[in-house]
Amino acid sequence: MKNKIFTEPVLKNAENLGFFEMLAPPEDISANGHLIDWLFNYTTSMNIFFFVLVCIGLFGFSYLYHNKRHPKPYYTYGNKKAHIIIATVVGIAVFLCIDLMITGFSNRDYTGVFINWPDESKEDVVRVQVLGQQWAWNFRQAGKDGVFNTQDDIVTLNDLRVPANKKVVFQILSKDVIHSLYFPNARRKTDAIPGRVTRMWIEFIKPGTYDIACAEMCGTYHYRMKAKLTVYEEEDFSHYLTEAQQISSAVNDPEDGQIYWGWKWTSASSSKKIGMNK
Amino acid sequence: MAFYEQHIHPKPTTFLSKYIFSFDHKVIGKQFLWYGILFLFVGGLMALMIRWTLAFPGQPFPVIGSYLFPETGGAVPPDTYAMLFTMHGTIMIFYAITPILIGAFGNFCIPLMLGARDMAFPLLNMLSFHLAVISGLLLMGSLFTPLGAAAGGWTSYPTLSTLIGSPGVGQTLWSLAIFVLGVSSTMGAVNYITTIITLRAPGMGYFDMPLTVWGLGLTAVLNAIFLPVLGAGVLLLIFDRVFGTTFFLAGAAATTGTGDPVLFQHVFWIFGHPEVYILILPAWGIVSDLLSFFSRKPAFGAKATALAMTSITILSTLVYGHHMFTTQMSPLLTQTFMTLTMTISIPSAIFFTNWLGTLWKGSIRFHSPMLFSLGVVFVFGLGGLTGLYLGTVTTDLYLHDTYFVVGHFHYTMAASVLLGGFAATYFWMPKMFGTLMNEFWAKIHFWITMLGLNGVFFGMMLVGYGGMHRRIYNPFIYEFTQKLIPINTFTTWSAIVMGFAQIIFVVNFVHAVFFKKQKAGDNPWEVGTLEWTIPSPAPHYNFKEIPVVKCGPHELGNPNVSGKDFQYQTEELA
Repeated sequence: MKNKIFTEPVLKNAENLGFFEMLAPPEDISANGHLIDWLFNYTTSMNIFFFVLVCIGLFGFSYLYHNKRHPKPYYTYGNKKAHIIIATVVGIAVFLCIDLMITGFSNRDYTGVFINWPDESKEDVVRVQVLGQQWAWNFRQAGKDGVFNTQDDIVTLNDLRVPANKKVVFQILSKDVIHSLYFPNARRKTDAIPGRVTRMWIEFIKPGTYDIACAEMCGTYHYRMKAKLTVYEEEDFSHYLTEAQQISSAVNDPEDGQIYWGWKWTSASSSKKIGMNK
Repeated sequence: MAFYEQHIHPKPTTFLSKYIFSFDHKVIGKQFLWYGILFLFVGGLMALMIRWTLAFPGQPFPVIGSYLFPETGGAVPPDTYAMLFTMHGTIMIFYAITPILIGAFGNFCIPLMLGARDMAFPLLNMLSFHLAVISGLLLMGSLFTPLGAAAGGWTSYPTLSTLIGSPGVGQTLWSLAIFVLGVSSTMGAVNYITTIITLRAPGMGYFDMPLTVWGLGLTAVLNAIFLPVLGAGVLLLIFDRVFGTTFFLAGAAATTGTGDPVLFQHVFWIFGHPEVYILILPAWGIVSDLLSFFSRKPAFGAKATALAMTSITILSTLVYGHHMFTTQMSPLLTQTFMTLTMTISIPSAIFFTNWLGTLWKGSIRFHSPMLFSLGVVFVFGLGGLTGLYLGTVTTDLYLHDTYFVVGHFHYTMAASVLLGGFAATYFWMPKMFGTLMNEFWAKIHFWITMLGLNGVFFGMMLVGYGGMHRRIYNPFIYEFTQKLIPINTFTTWSAIVMGFAQIIFVVNFVHAVFFKKQKAGDNPWEVGTLEWTIPSPAPHYNFKEIPVVKCGPHELGNPNVSGKDFQYQTEELA
């Protein structure tokens, strides 16, 4: 007897895809996801280079020095200087060509972009507070009053709607266990931890609907902690905001304690920047 | 230089003193080997159940599904799935790899390779095995509790692993089992380190020890230092669960005070990162030796390999934060962990060079231990290089908690260590049990395992690159993972092939241990380390006379030697 619950959504697109399309990461709809993709590809090309060298050595030597083909081994006693030099040169070459390069690129992107919080006093950002719980995502956007945790807040369950081409700053918290807010189409995730607010900012650039997932084991239904991201064009977003506002003002009951899980928004740019060379 | 000579004890006669309560390191090593193989089977079965669910969601698991999961008609239910991946990870790391590589081969090889009659502390050795048995019983027992075994991942992050996320006693038993195993392994570690320092045969300096002993000794150092940290973390978790403390509770659950769930992550990974090096160091040492033995020439840069392993041991203590890049530690700390993680590439590259240099201009014999060692070089190359993506902060922001991580650590831990363990089993079978395993079937085992292994773990890296996150019961709920279904199915089929290939090994192993008539010679591999100077299988006292060491462990191919192409460590250098 097959239990229907487990055979949920069926194959959608795989049949029509080419082999490489099947392997590609999800479509990148963010302004800065390409930095991560680029670094991944750079690391891959370096890795391929060195791994091919290893394989040439491995398979080549196995072939050339098979005991039937090469009966007399080359004997060396002790630790020859030449050997030490070769090994050290290889070690340093790998470190300089791969490790330092990717560290440099990563640091540049990390401090320059990913933790370079937009200055909220100067830029127009969209602020979202996220509360992860077992097993759903709650999103809160401040209403017209611009203050979080008031009656006109737009509070949604598993439904995040943001405009394109504007920086969206998230403050993330969990109600119970550790979750992780994961935007595969933006290449980003940040843990949602109980008792501590974590932060992330992303600029989405392509309108459409996309997945949001939970990327930290959080219990039995971790696998279906799915939320929907809708990226709107500017005007559509203002329509949405107005509409959602009206609904929330009507529906949100100031006496209902459950809805007011939000917190006071402190912008990152107003707090001290530790460890960044600014 | 041995600090003292151990005397020859009389041979044990009763069944209990020979097989159950034995002080003999060789017997204890074999006990760990059987123990590890049993758990390898249990963990492997769980892996197949996981893979089955991922490729064929909703379908009943073949043969045993309907007995285990009658309510769902044989398909794995979601909460059991969580328990399966938790137990699979825990069992494979602590109850399969650790007992086989460290418990079995550590115990068996160290005294023999050093020219000693037993470990420094034989009673402690025996206690270490029996504690491991108790730990295994605690863990397996947790499966039969009403709410089931631990289901929060082998990393058991709070607050999921506190009473908030895991109300049952299973998680407490898990924590207790890990603590007890930690005590067992720490005992073993102390034993190995003391034996290496005090019981090396006269004439054996540290650099005359085989690299296998280097690997096992460095593992023991890491074990001795960091298992207590794990023990502390897990003990605090037990306190939170049983005594109402709040070390790791925060948020709504912290009603009587608050702690920090991320603190557990720090404590766990301070142990957890060295742990992965603990698991791989013995395999590195074994492979370094076997490559030399089967190329019939000295290990290229043996001293450099030993020092590289030592520097990795030290560096591994400084990099644990790369498991926590998404928890928003301070940016400076995050970047520092990235840079330190990168430095581990240097010693790794050094011993890859040394491995290839050992093959270079050798005269290679492709017996099964050699095939598996070459396999380790291949899979560890792949696995190690994929670690680079994860050590880099920005690429890790995408790849963290996806199948890419799973593919990476399986390549480095499962593939490399498993292949290393098989190499060791095929190699030391004569010394352990007096027979050689069947070469033909060993080679078949090798090729099918390599095929299956690469299919599984490379498939995992591909789906991880595609963004599929881990620990999910049915990934196809999401749009972005829909196109990854064919790769998942391919991975599952590879896993099934790999799983069945192990039957070849088990049959070969059991046959060689119990049923083979033809006995192996004293030194079938024609190699000079001290364990091959004594009869096969090794007599209970190991060495009638303590050997005096006169040359290194890799004296092969010296043209001045006549009659054979290697020298025993007891012979003067030709």
